[in-house]
Amino acid sequence: MILLKLIKKFGKINSIVLFICILLLLLEFVGHRHGEFKIEEFLFFPALFGYISCIVIFKVGVALRSIFMRDEDYYD
Amino acid sequence: MINSFPPGFIMFIGAFLIPFLPKLGRQVYMIFLVLLSSFSLFNGFGTHLTINVLDYNFIINHSDNLSLPFAIVFHIAAFITIIFGSHKDDWKENIAVISYAGAAIAALHAGDLFTLFLWWEATAFTSVFLILGGNTTRAYRAAFRYIVIQVCSGMFLLAGAVLFLYSNGNALLGQMSIDDTSGLLIFLAFGIKAAFPFLNGWLQDTYPEASEVGTVALSSFTTKLAIYALARSFAGTDILIYIGALMTFFPIFFAVIENDLRRVLAYSLNNQLGFMVVAVGIGTELAINGAVAHAFAHIIYKGLLFMSMGAVLYRVGTCKASELGGLFKYMPITAVCSIIGAISISAFPLFSGFVAKSLIMSSLGYEGLSFIYFMLLFASAGVLHHSGIKIPFFAFFAHESGHKPKEAPLNMIIAMVIGSVLCILIGIFPSIFYQILPYSVEYQPYDFSHVLSQLQLLTFAAFAFICLWHFKIYPPELNSTVLNSDWFYRRMFPAVISNIVDGLKILNEKFSVNCFKGFNTIKNFFHDIMFENKVIDREAGFDTQIVLQIFGIIVFILIFIHLK
Repeated sequence: MILLKLIKKFGKINSIVLFICILLLLLEFVGHRHGEFKIEEFLFFPALFGYISCIVIFKVGVALRSIFMRDEDYYD
Repeated sequence: MINSFPPGFIMFIGAFLIPFLPKLGRQVYMIFLVLLSSFSLFNGFGTHLTINVLDYNFIINHSDNLSLPFAIVFHIAAFITIIFGSHKDDWKENIAVISYAGAAIAALHAGDLFTLFLWWEATAFTSVFLILGGNTTRAYRAAFRYIVIQVCSGMFLLAGAVLFLYSNGNALLGQMSIDDTSGLLIFLAFGIKAAFPFLNGWLQDTYPEASEVGTVALSSFTTKLAIYALARSFAGTDILIYIGALMTFFPIFFAVIENDLRRVLAYSLNNQLGFMVVAVGIGTELAINGAVAHAFAHIIYKGLLFMSMGAVLYRVGTCKASELGGLFKYMPITAVCSIIGAISISAFPLFSGFVAKSLIMSSLGYEGLSFIYFMLLFASAGVLHHSGIKIPFFAFFAHESGHKPKEAPLNMIIAMVIGSVLCILIGIFPSIFYQILPYSVEYQPYDFSHVLSQLQLLTFAAFAFICLWHFKIYPPELNSTVLNSDWFYRRMFPAVISNIVDGLKILNEKFSVNCFKGFNTIKNFFHDIMFENKVIDREAGFDTQIVLQIFGIIVFILIFIHLK
């Protein structure tokens, strides 16, 4: 019931992505996931890294708008 | 006889017969040229043709394990571009596409610096017509700037080649060092075409100004030719690792704020080149394989993305994120192909980007370059953000834009489907793909750790985007221009120089110093020639100033080197 409510509120495709995310986190416990560097083997490292990177990129991007953004006909 | 000519040569020469053919025959003829050219690929490795002029041996046709994979993918790209553009009845663009592809392929087979220089310039002069094919005032001016930058690169290459010949007694295209002046000049020449940081302005400035077909052709050849040249001459040069890492890093943010989706792809192209440059900088066999594999896969998926945006531009008339959206209903096949391109570039397992990028990431791991590794990992999340999600999402989903276009023409669909199928095949059968790479290295991209890490990274980055969009934190796309490194020569240099001139004028008036008289006379003389006598019309006047300034800078650098 709660699940249906969530799907309704969050949208179908978004819920599917959320479901896959949870599944991928659970897969971590199936086998040992080794990385190129030691720190990568930390629990959920790639997931955290991906999530945080995306937020950072978005935040920096928005901040850069005020510096690098000009009118469309700036060069004309 | 025909086999001793380099592949591509027949395309370059054959292109000039195109105006005499009827429209339908033209497309068939172009495909025939590509097939004919590709036969020379089976010649085997070695030097097939040298021409002796004035005691200098031009090595016209030399092929080896490095040039072959690039030559194969250039042929594929030429083939796909011809199909993609066959709805158009434009013989000028046809000539430009086929001669440009031919020149790029022939450049891969140059065995010495002067032959490389000739083809290097040929790619510049053929591709500029693709930008002019955009048929707008902006395209016309962008083409002007483009040719100046490309010729600059050629001049550096020529100067480097002459110095190299002078000091070494030969000008063979082989391993070089940036410690000597000749090596440094050649490095700069390659760096301009490979769009190094601060030398990259021309790429984002000009590629999106070409027509829907022109951009696809442009995205395939010039920059990858530069990667090939770097791999041949500067493999293992440490500084490339840092340059490449910077290249993967900073275009991400520009791509995030850019509104024109083809320009977003141009930034993303720059970011992808960064991965290849890092790999060339590492220089191990695995890394060079990675650079080549990535260039190969990249040409196909980037072409696919540019094709899907080209189809949107063709049907809707704009490529701005702020004016697009909700096209999935009307252009479903284009949308699916675009999504396949987006998934490939994001390097999801089972797609071409994954099997290519894994080689580079693993070689970074083997060399213990942890900082660069995590920078590239960050960039991978960035690729997903701006190419993987932004491109298909803002064009085909997001909000309703009110456009109700037809599906793309059949020829475009065929070209996009070929691209998509290649992306998937490379991803599913990496072992076959790895066989064409320069070195035989045992490598298995599909293991549990690799796949899981990559999937976690990408899905969580996608999930972050979903959260931002769902909770309406993501700001709307705005019509805008994003400043890039071309700002230096489009705005800053002209402003500085006009300020200096104004300052001199004031000095002259206040103190009536006579020594400025001569200066003024010269300035007025050039001003009269350029503007009043209408040698160059006012529209191009501004760009001509830039040309003169850049030319001045080159002369200055050359004098400086000479004095040193």
